Amino acid sequence: MNIRKEISVLLLLLSLILALLPLSANRSFVAKPDRLLSEVINEGVSFTVDQVAEFIVREDPSVQLIDLRSPEDFRKQAVPGAVNIPYPEFINSDPDIWLGNRNIRNIFYSTGDLEPDYALVYARGLGYDNSFIMDGGITEWERTIMQTRFTGDRITARENALFETRRRAGEMFTELNSLPDSLKSKFLESRKFSAKKLDGGCE
Amino acid sequence: MAPLSSYYVFPEWLNMLTALLIGTGFGFALEQAGFSSSRKLAGMFYGYDTTVLKVFFTAAIVALIGSQFMSFFGLLNLNQVYVNEFYVTASIVGGVIMGAGFIMGGFCPGTGLCALSIGKIDAMVFIAGGFAGAFLFTESYPKIEELANANFRGPVKINEALGISPGLFTLILVAAAVALFWIAELAEKKFARPEITNEL
Repeated sequence: MNIRKEISVLLLLLSLILALLPLSANRSFVAKPDRLLSEVINEGVSFTVDQVAEFIVREDPSVQLIDLRSPEDFRKQAVPGAVNIPYPEFINSDPDIWLGNRNIRNIFYSTGDLEPDYALVYARGLGYDNSFIMDGGITEWERTIMQTRFTGDRITARENALFETRRRAGEMFTELNSLPDSLKSKFLESRKFSAKKLDGGCE
Repeated sequence: MAPLSSYYVFPEWLNMLTALLIGTGFGFALEQAGFSSSRKLAGMFYGYDTTVLKVFFTAAIVALIGSQFMSFFGLLNLNQVYVNEFYVTASIVGGVIMGAGFIMGGFCPGTGLCALSIGKIDAMVFIAGGFAGAFLFTESYPKIEELANANFRGPVKINEALGISPGLFTLILVAAAVALFWIAELAEKKFARPEITNEL
């Protein structure tokens, strides 16, 4: 057999192996750059910290917070209910693992806006329209939710609701982050449990 | 060349140095394979020399198999590899113009630069024509913008469009390549032009 036939057979055998391997169906960017840009700078793709606080207080099951910071930062301080997927890990693995469930709105946050914005462009570019960001990240959360104080004489019902949500979300945040690591993961489960108990009492 | 990584920021000089090294290697491979001769490239059109088809198709399938194995072993993230965007109309119109230029000039842009670097006069004219074409394209772009952007399909991959796995597509392509190589060898015998090929 001459060398050309040998190489042909080798290439055919290698591709036969590839055809049998469970290769992940790599997806490519589906969006056109200008359309993607206008989509990700649209306000509809971002939630304010107040909206996120409301999701947390209501324990909205259709929302998943994704913390893109390092595991060390996440252990120190995390928004209740968030899962930690460090940005390098997120960008280097199959996004379908995290974003595959289309019924869940995934909200990225980090310390600031940079990494969530990258993650948003990446995810939306791959066609995951269920991706959103939390405006301002943890920094904005600290400023708005944790340090909010009402100063004034009269409070409207709307303001009252807003401050109540902020206060409860702030409490949950403080409660979670003052727990030892081992207990943190159990925290949200216990919150759900006590909330259910309360609801049950009214029925 | 694209950045080496989209996550880590490498200094610009490193990107440029990588491009220079890859470009030099590519140019060397083209030149030593005899691709700086326009008669060898025209041979593809007339059928007496199909080296171009064999070299480029082999390079494509080797890269395809290699990148998929690297992806499987976690050495390469194919999600981050840039995929050329598919503008259907522009691809057809551009392909016809490029093909016509290819057979008239006897070079493709890469081999044209190779031939230029060894001092071939026809290559100098060819490259000058390329620059003139680029100038005309840029100047007339506002008028042909609609045509250039028509039927945009995004950076779609063939296996995605066909709905088959990347591995199966690779197998089909490699089988097609091997079949084509066999036909090409038959063509070389049928359209043999020893008076040209003996000189190459």
